Amino acid sequence: MKSLQTFIQIHRSIKQHATVFSLVVVVMLFGLFMEAYMHDFNLVYITLFFVFSFAFSAGPLGVLNLGNLDAHFAKQGRFFVQKPSLLRLSIENKSTNTSWAILLYGEDGTSVEIPYIKGESTEHLALEYTPTKRGVFTYANCYLESKYPLSTARLTKPIDKTYTGIAYPEPKGISLEQFISIQETHIGEEKEFDGLSTYDGSQKISHLHWASIAKGEMSVKRFSKETEVANLVFIFNNMKGDTESRLSQLTLWVLACEKQRLPFIVELPKQRLSPQKESIDEILEALARY
Amino acid sequence: MRFLKHLQDTKLSELALLDFAYIVVLLPLIVMLKVPMILFSIIVLAILFFKRTPASDILLFSIFILGGIALYLSLYGAFSFSGLSRLKLFLELLVYVLLIVVSLQRLTRKINFYLLISPFLFLALSLFFYHGIMMLMYVLFEVFVLLWMILSGRMQGDIHEAFKNSMVMFMYSLPWVVVLFIFFPRISFEHASYGFKGESIKRMGHDGTMYLDGNALIVPSDRIVMEVGFEEEIPPANTLYFRGSVLYVDKKDHWEALPKYAKRKEKLYYPTQGKEIRYKVTLYPTNKKWLYLLDMPKRSVENATLDRDLISTVEKNIEEPVHYAAISSLSPSYTETLDNVTYKISTFFDAQQNPQSYELAQTILKKSSSTKEKVDKLMALFKAQSLTYTLKPDALDINHSTDSFLFDKKRGYCVHFASSFVTMARMLGIPARIVTGYKSDKSESLKNYLAIKEKDAHAWAELYIEGKWVRYETTATASSIDFGSIAQAASVQASGEKNPLLQKTNLYLMYTKYNIETWILYYSHVRQLQLLEYAKKNPSFVFGFVASFILLVIGSFLVIAYFRRPRYSSEALAMLQPLLSVLKKEGYLKHKEESMHQFLLRVSANYPENKALRNVDRLYEVLCYANTKDTNTYQAFKNNIKKASKAITINFP
Repeated sequence: MKSLQTFIQIHRSIKQHATVFSLVVVVMLFGLFMEAYMHDFNLVYITLFFVFSFAFSAGPLGVLNLGNLDAHFAKQGRFFVQKPSLLRLSIENKSTNTSWAILLYGEDGTSVEIPYIKGESTEHLALEYTPTKRGVFTYANCYLESKYPLSTARLTKPIDKTYTGIAYPEPKGISLEQFISIQETHIGEEKEFDGLSTYDGSQKISHLHWASIAKGEMSVKRFSKETEVANLVFIFNNMKGDTESRLSQLTLWVLACEKQRLPFIVELPKQRLSPQKESIDEILEALARY
Repeated sequence: MRFLKHLQDTKLSELALLDFAYIVVLLPLIVMLKVPMILFSIIVLAILFFKRTPASDILLFSIFILGGIALYLSLYGAFSFSGLSRLKLFLELLVYVLLIVVSLQRLTRKINFYLLISPFLFLALSLFFYHGIMMLMYVLFEVFVLLWMILSGRMQGDIHEAFKNSMVMFMYSLPWVVVLFIFFPRISFEHASYGFKGESIKRMGHDGTMYLDGNALIVPSDRIVMEVGFEEEIPPANTLYFRGSVLYVDKKDHWEALPKYAKRKEKLYYPTQGKEIRYKVTLYPTNKKWLYLLDMPKRSVENATLDRDLISTVEKNIEEPVHYAAISSLSPSYTETLDNVTYKISTFFDAQQNPQSYELAQTILKKSSSTKEKVDKLMALFKAQSLTYTLKPDALDINHSTDSFLFDKKRGYCVHFASSFVTMARMLGIPARIVTGYKSDKSESLKNYLAIKEKDAHAWAELYIEGKWVRYETTATASSIDFGSIAQAASVQASGEKNPLLQKTNLYLMYTKYNIETWILYYSHVRQLQLLEYAKKNPSFVFGFVASFILLVIGSFLVIAYFRRPRYSSEALAMLQPLLSVLKKEGYLKHKEESMHQFLLRVSANYPENKALRNVDRLYEVLCYANTKDTNTYQAFKNNIKKASKAITINFP
């Protein structure tokens, strides 16, 4: 009784749509019936009844195949406007039996196929998603689909949960290196360096200290600008371009600073953000919500 | 086992699955393919085998031309517009065309919609050609294989998993199929052939003439002529006479039916008296028009006529198995008003032909006053002649057959007894005739099933006494039986069937076959109504039917449960499941990244007193990684699982 209740519950959560093969089954049933009707062949009747019963039992089996799956959004990465990202979902099979031929559809029609999910296990899938606008976005209307077992019906199970995330501005503009080089005013000559260090292959060849090399020591020139920590302050109001391009530029720099572990300050009209106080995600969120 | 293991890992491509489906559906049709089409199929198969790339347009065109030639040669002679009006030839043409089209598409190595559905078309076409038990078995197999292949396609070619799922689906469907088969209304034409002519099958058969000379064919064959299923128990052996033809005219060496010029009033119907018997008959092709009915038929069979001699005939010769339900009265006689024509013919005899018999008949005539007395004296005369029943009689003098049989050779079988008896009865002025048919001795019977074989062919006499035609078993007048000749004749046909066990087994097989044919292959609207009628009268039958159906459902679900059971990577893991389910109820779930040891350690921390749980952990490691087959370890593992589960269930940390 309990399993019947569970089945009814599962059945309610599934929608069934006819496919072209259901039409084939109907035509086949009609053809076999005509053959049996006109010629009274019991073998045809038996085949007819089998086809009918298979089509009939395909429904509950398909429902059980899909109904025991439970999908939810997993921990996501960062989303940037116009950057293709992956929206991660976990699909759990609560049944002890394997579920077959599952397709996960996103709201924009993109899909990912998974041949099977073993009983009592979880599979992780990712849908491709490209945000078009910065700020908070909602991803909904995802559903699981399966044509198991006979392809006569397309069964879909909507994923009730919606994902609310933030799309950060598209990181674009001039690179941080370019920005720094523009900001720096190099006074003096290249030969005015702060000391020598051993060449390890990573330094620029132009920084090689040829005088040492001539003596047989592989040394490179060390400049203070390389060792000093840059004091980067990105002031929104001082930047060129419209709001969106400024935010995109700031996003690019914030990400570059994060990568290079450089301290920085972002000054928005009414907000001052720095990694000492806020996390990078919070800074990006502030930019996204601007 | 290695094969099964191999099967488990096999993943077939969609084309391979389709190929397998085509092989299965085409197998029964291969038998009917003509040599050119077989050669064409072999060429296509060879190209598919050796050329693993899609065929070029030139190759496809060549195959198309080759297919056309093969089709032309296969149907050469038979192929014309008039030939198309023959159903089977038309279907054969369809099979050939479909085969060529499928071959062309398969050679492109691209799966399209038509290639996907064609196996079903082949299956539907093959059902036109075969209707026997073998085909029934094969259809079940075909249906299963097609389902298996469809599921394999859906399951990425995993044929092992698809097999299990197909079994589940097949068993889900089985009870439905049974219910539909029994109750689905059979509103059908009887083998209609709209615009199609019948097939001209020619078979050898008897023509209803009874020979007395060397042409008299003794067939001690075990070939089944007909199978009879009685609604109740089989009547006594001495009543099992099945009427075939009635012979009136003595032509010296043989007897014939009434001549065509003898015009009689037809359809004079006198209800026969006696116990009513209902039965169903499956009559195999005889190439005759007679339907054999138990003496005496009560009414005509559907689509057959019953004449005033109670002989049932159909319009066309029987060239396919015929199934009919009939009602008879177990009576050795029936009332009839004899018309002049019949009287004249049934009393005609040539005194010159058998002078000795005629003389004796005259003596009896003088001494007898009533017909009954005459017959009694005639029977006494036959008995007094010390006649021997033998299947190896000496040749009679055909010009004086009765004299020769009664006074000279004295050896013969049913035809000789019946012929002589009828001749002498006519000499006594009693209208008489010979009835041929079958007489069973019930040796080939089981429950309500009776098989009639060729060796049961029989002839007896009917005499018109006091307004009734009365049956006389003329061979009963034999004083002795030549068992040697019977055994010898029988041994010619069935030397290997002397083993009673073998005979019994054979009978059971025949009975099973008969039941399958009766209740499955030839199940019809009439049978459906009979079944419902029977169910109305017998509540116990309804109860039995419902109980059987419930058993079928339970059986199906057991098979489903078997194939849907969870599979574990090791025996130890399978044994551990009860404990894991107890832990699940208590809220302990094993994480995906967690090993079983880590999980059990985590649980054990909350049940420090549960030693069994720690033992389970230890033994699980031993069984999984030490690869031990020790039964004691398994037993200890099992016991500890029980103890640990019990301790957790009663919440005894």
